Amino acid sequence: MPDSTDAGKPLPLDGVRICDFSWIVAGPQATRIFADLGAEVIKVENESHLDSMRMALRDPQGPPSFNRSGFYNNFHRNKLGITANLYHPEGKEVVERLIAQSDIVIENFSAGAFERMGYPYERLVEIKPDIIYLSLSGFGHIGRDSHHVTWGPTAAGVSGATAMSGLPDDEPAGWGYSYLDHTAGFYGAIALLMALYHRDQTGEGQHVDMAQVETGMVLGGVPMLDYQVNGRDYTRIGNRSRYPSIAPHGIYRCEGDDRWIAIVAETNEQWHDLCGVLGAPDLASDARFPNNAARVAEQDALDAAITELTRSREPHELMYALQARGVAAGVCQTMQDRMEIDPQLADRGFYRSAPHAELGEHRFEGFPMQFSNARWRIDRGAPQLGQDTMQVLTELLGYSEADVERLTAEAALL
Amino acid sequence: MSGPLEGLRAIEIGDRGEVAGKLLADAGVDVIRVEMPSGARSRSTGPFVGDEPDAASLHFAYLNTNKRGVTLNLADREGASLWGKLVANADIVIDSVGPGALDTLRIGYESLQSNRRLIWCSITPFGLNGPRRDWVTNDLVSMALGGPPMSTGYDDHDVPPIRSDGEHSLAMAGEYATIGIIAAVLQRDRGARGQLVDVSIHECVAGTTEGAFPNWEYNQALVQRQTGRHSAPNRTPPWQHVAADGEYSMAHGGGVPRSPQIWPRLLDWLEANDAVEDLRDPQYEEVNHSDPRATTEGRRHIIEVVGKLLEKLTADDGYRGGQAIHMPFAHVRRPEQNLDDPHWEDRGFWLSGEVPGHDEPVRYPGAPYRFTKSPVEFRRRAPLLGEHNTAIYGALGLDTDELTRLAKSGVI
Repeated sequence: MPDSTDAGKPLPLDGVRICDFSWIVAGPQATRIFADLGAEVIKVENESHLDSMRMALRDPQGPPSFNRSGFYNNFHRNKLGITANLYHPEGKEVVERLIAQSDIVIENFSAGAFERMGYPYERLVEIKPDIIYLSLSGFGHIGRDSHHVTWGPTAAGVSGATAMSGLPDDEPAGWGYSYLDHTAGFYGAIALLMALYHRDQTGEGQHVDMAQVETGMVLGGVPMLDYQVNGRDYTRIGNRSRYPSIAPHGIYRCEGDDRWIAIVAETNEQWHDLCGVLGAPDLASDARFPNNAARVAEQDALDAAITELTRSREPHELMYALQARGVAAGVCQTMQDRMEIDPQLADRGFYRSAPHAELGEHRFEGFPMQFSNARWRIDRGAPQLGQDTMQVLTELLGYSEADVERLTAEAALL
Repeated sequence: MSGPLEGLRAIEIGDRGEVAGKLLADAGVDVIRVEMPSGARSRSTGPFVGDEPDAASLHFAYLNTNKRGVTLNLADREGASLWGKLVANADIVIDSVGPGALDTLRIGYESLQSNRRLIWCSITPFGLNGPRRDWVTNDLVSMALGGPPMSTGYDDHDVPPIRSDGEHSLAMAGEYATIGIIAAVLQRDRGARGQLVDVSIHECVAGTTEGAFPNWEYNQALVQRQTGRHSAPNRTPPWQHVAADGEYSMAHGGGVPRSPQIWPRLLDWLEANDAVEDLRDPQYEEVNHSDPRATTEGRRHIIEVVGKLLEKLTADDGYRGGQAIHMPFAHVRRPEQNLDDPHWEDRGFWLSGEVPGHDEPVRYPGAPYRFTKSPVEFRRRAPLLGEHNTAIYGALGLDTDELTRLAKSGVI
């Protein structure tokens, strides 16, 4: 396990503090990255506007609680959580003391909401002159459609990411989850890191405005150029490869309940090896498929012939046999495959466990890289609602325990 | 000022690191793309200008904006020496040649530690260790192993799981690599030495499938792929509809408002289009207060009625009509349909730039972050093959005669 070799290495973002108003998925994905790398991420919540992900995927048999979502746990590990009521003057005072000691303020409310709570960028600068402020909304804070409301699939739909997924003669398959919430989170983290570098060099903070739809549009840059230069409309390609044209290049049915394998054979040598592993020497010499160009031209027949051979094969066994011959192949892994079978993820220690006050010990998705002179962490699960309010207010923000009790009684911290 | 990372220099080599190189270059890093004299793979990846395979690749043009380019034969002894000089002057190396490939030539991270400030980011299919380190992949195989296809596809499970087009495994790895690189730069600039950052494409993909993870870890449930909407352990009602103009509309979550205040406005919109049916019956108002994850008869009926409205309207009218009442609906656009939407002009999103062999300047998608103090700019189009050999090797002290000799002998 890398944990042992990691011990004693520094966390690369140790010392960075984020005042985190983000919720749902996109913003929390960005600050999850910071927290994994050692930043102190303090999530500010409020009982009257709860993060709805606190209710996502709760155990239906468990007791009713805002603290029992495995979904929320995975995206808020390593973070601290406080409650503060932004509609109470003393709640605002708490938040402003926190902003004054933070490097970054992030929110992903609908455009304009944070300003209506009293915090336009100009106000944040009064509190902390070199603050970095990231606003991450669907369409950004600038532009005629900035009021549009967005969830991940809305952004995927408008940007083109949905249309680029699926069969050419069928409707879009789209993405089976909010891919653009994660993409926006990644780009949010990138933007914050860039702004931190700029601040460290110049002493200057800034407002960075992001539109989630734009994080999807940058993934479709090539079709946008193709349209402008060659006048071509984008058309879907299923699992095939258009640039470059390669066949076979597909996902093929295997033995078992909804089991599939991806296979790509680019060279003639790989094609012959594939036919060999499939036990079909006649396919290798089939006059329809002598070379890649012919295989691309006859792809429907090719895929049908391959499927006839893969459908009785156990997918993992077939994958190992193909990889042993240097043919690119991979099982379409389920979550169970990745967590319980995949030897690569296990060897690299990708899934790591940490405790959560109500959910107990659970595994978490890890950070997808290893550093020679740093580490990432999975130290603790997500905060229960307000779990760290007392500690943060007394240790960081200069309140006494009696102050916290009074503020709680006066609903400033709900 | 030309971006928030101005002042840093990076060397990029290999075919899987283009996204990271682009993100750094667009943000102001002086990124030097090092190619074999035969050219990077993406130069021969379509589409091409005018669909002529000898013309410029749009794939290369997009993924290499703001970079400079040199050619270099690393297998040659003099080439390896030049590589060492390039690296000695860099803050960052993006190496996606393959696990151990440069080490074999003794020009990898292990051999070039004299630059103690160097951040060396390796991007490989599985990382630099582990039993599958040397397995053969491409984007399709990386996506399959990483998991997105088992969450993505159609209601009909006779249709295979779908790998979304766009080389997303490389996009995710490039985004994460950029994160790892800048984090290591920040760490270095606070007093640490440089280091190796070992990015696994497989882990980048495997950690980006959202609900599949907690469904398994907490409920031992596997999600099932569904047409045009989120995968789930159990079937849910449709979100996507064929609009009157043949385009597609998307009603996130199906079309029941998440906030009860929107319900009367939804009814008015339906009625204005003669599509309200029986939804004014008070039993449907109640649905707005129920758990959005519980698929009741009432919820199913509302979703059907809203879907029928979206089928009566053009996709743009469905999108804008829904947004006018704060419903997160979308016109499922092809990427290029955004070129005509003035909202992106309002934001200054597009960057106008040249494509070699095409007469008109084109609109490149800009950066997906709008820095108010250090804006991203289009400083230069993607380099021609070896375009900056003279400038970059000249700066390393090579004179014209030497450059001519190295070019003749195939070193550059």
